[in-house]
Amino acid sequence: MAEEAVLHGVETPEAHGTTDAGERVYVASQWQLMWWRFRKHHLAMAAGIVVVCFYLVALCADFLATTDPELSDAKRSLMPPQRLYWFDGWSLRPHVYAVKGARDPKTFKRVYQVDPTQKIPVHVFAHGFPYKLFGLIPMDRHLLGVGAGHEAAQTLFILGTDVQGRDLWSRLLYATRISVSIGLVGVALSLFLGVLLGGMSGFYGGWVDTLIQRLIEILRSIPTIPLWMGLAAALPRDWSILQMYFAITIIISLLGWTELARVVRGRFLALREEDFVVAARLAGCSQMRIIFVHMVPSFMSHIIAATTLALPAMIISETSLSFLGLGLRPPAVSWGVLLQQAQNVQTVAISPWLMLPAIPVIIAVLAFNFLGDGLRDAADPYGY
Amino acid sequence: MLAYILRRLLIAIGTVWVISVVSFAIIQLPPGDYVTSYIAQLMSTGSLVTQEEAENLRAQYGLDQPIYVQYAKWVWLVLQGNFGVSMEWKRPVTEVIGDRLLLTVLLALTAVIFTWILAIPIGIYSAVRQYSVGDYVFTCMGFIGLAIPNFLLALVIMYLAFAYFGASVGGLFSTEYMDAPWSLARVQDLLKHLWIPAIILSTAGSAHLIRILRANLLDELRKPYVVTARAKGLSELRAILKYPVRVALNPFISTVGYTLPYLVSGSIIVSIVLSLPTVGPLLLKALLAQDMFLAGTIVLLLGVMTVIGTLISDILLIWVDPRIRLEE
Amino acid sequence: MRRPWQMRKTGKSWCWLAVALCVLAVSGWMGGHAVAAGPAGSELMGKLEGPEVVTDTAKFPKSFKEAPQLAELVKAGKLPPVQERVSQDPLVIKPVHEIGKYGGTWRRGFSGPADFWNGYRCCGHDKILFWDYTGNKIAPNVAKGWEISDNGRTFTVFLRKGMKWSDGHPFTADDFVFWYEDIHQNNDLVPAKTPVLSINGKPGKMEKVDDTTIRFIFEDPYFAFVDVLAGATHLGGHTYQGRELMGGFAPRHYLQQYHPKYAGKEAVDKLVKAAGYDNWVSFLKFKNDWAFNPELPTVAAWKTTSPINSPTWILERNPYFYMVDPAGNQLPYIGKVIMTVAENLEVLNLRAIAGEYDFQARHIDISKLPVFLENRAKGNYKVYLDPADSGCDACMFLNQTYEADTEIGKWLQNRDFRIALSLGIDREQLNEAFWLGVGTPGSQVLSESSPYNPGPEYRTMHSTYDPAKANQLLDSIGLTKKDAEGYRVRTDGKGRLRIEIMTVGGQFLQFTQIAEMIREQWRKIGIQADVSEIERSLAIKRAGANENQAHLWQNDGTEHFFTFPTHLFPYALEGLGGANIGPLWAQWFRSNGARGKEPAPPMQKLIELWKKAFGAPEEERIKLGKEIWRIAVEEQWVIGTVGLSPAAQGVRIVSNNMGNNPARQYNSPDGMTPATSRPETFFFKK
Repeated sequence: MAEEAVLHGVETPEAHGTTDAGERVYVASQWQLMWWRFRKHHLAMAAGIVVVCFYLVALCADFLATTDPELSDAKRSLMPPQRLYWFDGWSLRPHVYAVKGARDPKTFKRVYQVDPTQKIPVHVFAHGFPYKLFGLIPMDRHLLGVGAGHEAAQTLFILGTDVQGRDLWSRLLYATRISVSIGLVGVALSLFLGVLLGGMSGFYGGWVDTLIQRLIEILRSIPTIPLWMGLAAALPRDWSILQMYFAITIIISLLGWTELARVVRGRFLALREEDFVVAARLAGCSQMRIIFVHMVPSFMSHIIAATTLALPAMIISETSLSFLGLGLRPPAVSWGVLLQQAQNVQTVAISPWLMLPAIPVIIAVLAFNFLGDGLRDAADPYGY
Repeated sequence: MLAYILRRLLIAIGTVWVISVVSFAIIQLPPGDYVTSYIAQLMSTGSLVTQEEAENLRAQYGLDQPIYVQYAKWVWLVLQGNFGVSMEWKRPVTEVIGDRLLLTVLLALTAVIFTWILAIPIGIYSAVRQYSVGDYVFTCMGFIGLAIPNFLLALVIMYLAFAYFGASVGGLFSTEYMDAPWSLARVQDLLKHLWIPAIILSTAGSAHLIRILRANLLDELRKPYVVTARAKGLSELRAILKYPVRVALNPFISTVGYTLPYLVSGSIIVSIVLSLPTVGPLLLKALLAQDMFLAGTIVLLLGVMTVIGTLISDILLIWVDPRIRLEE
Repeated sequence: MRRPWQMRKTGKSWCWLAVALCVLAVSGWMGGHAVAAGPAGSELMGKLEGPEVVTDTAKFPKSFKEAPQLAELVKAGKLPPVQERVSQDPLVIKPVHEIGKYGGTWRRGFSGPADFWNGYRCCGHDKILFWDYTGNKIAPNVAKGWEISDNGRTFTVFLRKGMKWSDGHPFTADDFVFWYEDIHQNNDLVPAKTPVLSINGKPGKMEKVDDTTIRFIFEDPYFAFVDVLAGATHLGGHTYQGRELMGGFAPRHYLQQYHPKYAGKEAVDKLVKAAGYDNWVSFLKFKNDWAFNPELPTVAAWKTTSPINSPTWILERNPYFYMVDPAGNQLPYIGKVIMTVAENLEVLNLRAIAGEYDFQARHIDISKLPVFLENRAKGNYKVYLDPADSGCDACMFLNQTYEADTEIGKWLQNRDFRIALSLGIDREQLNEAFWLGVGTPGSQVLSESSPYNPGPEYRTMHSTYDPAKANQLLDSIGLTKKDAEGYRVRTDGKGRLRIEIMTVGGQFLQFTQIAEMIREQWRKIGIQADVSEIERSLAIKRAGANENQAHLWQNDGTEHFFTFPTHLFPYALEGLGGANIGPLWAQWFRSNGARGKEPAPPMQKLIELWKKAFGAPEEERIKLGKEIWRIAVEEQWVIGTVGLSPAAQGVRIVSNNMGNNPARQYNSPDGMTPATSRPETFFFKK
């Protein structure tokens, strides 16, 4: 678009306001400039849509699930993903077949056979197990469900089941809800601490700066895994699993704010000498006003970018902690928990569908990373 | 410059002391101590351990004294160069760690080399062909390693290597070479096992490097001297590689000091899954068993390596880039 | 090639469809239910068999043979000839299948220096007496024979004339006396004397009769003492008890240089300091540790040459071993045992799958059974299943002295409540999901093949799946009110009744997942369970502090509950499993009534019977044992789920190249399986 062409080569004559496009560039707000720049990065745009989808899924997990994720039945233990048929002959009638299984006495594997005579119709917006949408509205309709006379809990297994016979698809949805939201708390805390301490460090300089810098150095030198282990073992026992995990994310973020603080500090140091700050000071603005009205908005974009990049680190930490047995543990369900239950030889060899939760992890981490990269690139509209 | 180095050295010593306190605190945090886990073991096999025996064992290991006394004793020993005897291994801590240190460093170095081999071409390409399809594809590839959970990838690769290639499972050596003296055959065996963890670690670490290189190179490529080089008729390849890339790589060199401790702690999970004889699994077991001297020494070691690495990086950075000197 | 997870679709013809329907009908009935004819996996469970001690002196070999490497040493003059090495009264063992061949290296996996039990079980069997392969009869081992006299007060143990330690020094009664007087009775070394050398609180004593005879004398009858000498107890031999200075005997000629009484305090202090230890007690313990000290002489079949704290734990043949086969070959056949470290158990299992081990049951995970079976040809091994004799691999221990919440405490102490909880557990489901169908659902009672089992009806007593009866019971004791979601509410008005089940992660069985399934099953009887998984050391501490309500753990060892009572009643003050039956009761027991809380009358009776049984002769002891189990099952302090299974070290991977492997072995920690199969008789066919 014309604006982008103008932005790219700022020294060209059009940019000096002699054309409409150039005029628009000059009067465009900072956020508009960012948006135009961001739009060029197609990968980041796609990533942004993916991120939004994840949060929508988190919000509507109950609606998208087909069964209660806790219902277990050993008779359907380790069932592979079912095939969903869309057409029955020529008409559009999605259905699955009933499946029965038993343990093969020779190989000890659970073997399942499809019964081609029992067609179980699959409906969209069907009735299913009751839940409260957004925690408030009692509903019992789900995206996918089975026809009357059947129970989704016994018939519909889109991604198969785990060793207890629990539906993996529903568990994965609830796991997504927990995994994408639990990082937000830690990141918010990191954000707050990072801006506060980095800002103080950069703005005031002197001994405040030195002290905070040394603190950052000490925190970065502590090896994280031993710290996690020690802290996890020391937390009080009567907390619920979710409470314990919040505590651990808070502790992680107490170590993670250092990265953001360094960025903020660097920006403050650079901005301190800028003309517009000097002008504001000379005009008599109070320090608070200078900081919050003038300086912070100019590096807001960097902060947003850095925050977005902190989220995938949170997600990876969560999975690593669960692997070590420290983070969320069963009976809670999160990506880390699901992966930890898949982390064994028999899953890789015989029931590989249990490793499917790795895919949303990969997509989420990639998406957040590209989104963050795109935001950071866009944050500097006159740069490259 | 000299004053700066001296000042940083003093601060580094202070940081190391704080780390020692923190390491010790971390070991002591979980309830119980080494004797608790040891007794649990004995009892699970039917031996009954009475209260008096437990107290005895504690006195034997010096675990019945208050924490600050234990800490003081430990620091005193460390300053004398005596890192204590591991309660579980019944060998001096230096021996236990020393056995594994060489392999840990080898693994880290191999991972670093693989990372650079992977990251530098991708970084250059995505800067030069910004926003192209190739940029997206290669960046995706570079980031996939970061996105895939390492522990799952390690397990899958280990299983596939066994199932389809009959490779020996896990570890860094086959059975025959585990205790054998160094020889060409042993080195070959090591290399045969080293590629799996090195690949996993390098794919995870390359994302960060790609990002930095890409950003730096983008900055450099718009500078006037590049335009000049092109105008003067230099081929595209030389114009990019000879000047901008070298400048963009400057920060890498200064981060070398920081790479080693980062890799050692970053490789803990992969080492655990593959059962590598490196420091990572050793640390995990020591922490779980609350083997105080071993765990404390390793944590202290990691912390010190980080401090030294940061120090070296900062000094290198100042030495290489005069702009930063002015900023300080 | 079809991958296992792809569906098998049936064909198109009606004929096939009919067949398929029949198959489905049958499998639909069968699926999830135990196959009527015996538990699943019966082809992998053979008949119990094992080597036997030859007692008929007419069948004793007249001349002896030895391994080629040892023969070389004899020729070079470095070793005395074999007939002087096996002692004048060697133990003659008839191998289970055939006379073996010398040679080969036994490869195993272990998980690190804390895994010393691995070596004790496979290779360190120098107990004074021994459990035979049935697990129920006592056989000679280090001792040639024994005699009980004076109505069970005196035990005379006969040693073997001319028996030697692995370095050639004579092995005599002096080694027993050295242990008893200079180690056990020394208050610096062993401040807490072993409880197995006392009966009814009165300590006994050991004395030497002559060079090959020792005597244990007690004030009261102590008929069970022979079980103590044969089991994994404080008197269970030097290899495995030496590290804590127990065992019954110790090499005086070697240890005296580290003992102040013989070497003088200064000399010992110098040695201690030079080695980096700061007190002579821990130094002596280290020196007496078969797994850590390659210099330590032993009378077991193999001796450590590369200790456990190195990457490979290597054991080599003891040239002075006293066991021979009926053809006169000195055992063991296998000359070397190499154990490689695999700190991660997934790696260890994968190595076993790859065929990198020759005989491994330790750390083998039953949920990987299908993968093991799939790779049998590739790895060149066979898979055997050895079910244990203990009633439950995952038992729910209900704390009878829980005080933090009086309402919960009250219900836990209510027998009908416990029975209702037990009836609400669908054991078939658990069996299918976690034991792959090879376990036996039922109560915690030990196997029917043990003489102490009170009868087959006790397997299913209170231990079937009957939610209707459970609901009835819960209603009848007063828990009638339910909340909106169907869970029963407390009678003190504080809301829903919740039971907290505590589990420990990272064990051979997925306790947390089992607890999750139980939680789902208890929904149908209106009981809410909260599952919390915590660290092992934290779990132990909480047990000791009386903080656990319910705890899921195994009850292995209860098949020999006299020597292994930990999970039968609150014997230990803190720990996993049995300590959670009633920590305050444990205090009462340990302090002889001075502290803690007095147990409920049935438990008091059980403890009394148990104590009495030690002094009773075998017939009466069996009667007392049965009564003990009757009380335990009727009271349901411990709810059994699934047991008598190979889950605990019962999945045996054996290389096709190894001979003299029994089709089934007795799986017990007290018998230190595979010790009861006499691994000294294993050999390599090629």
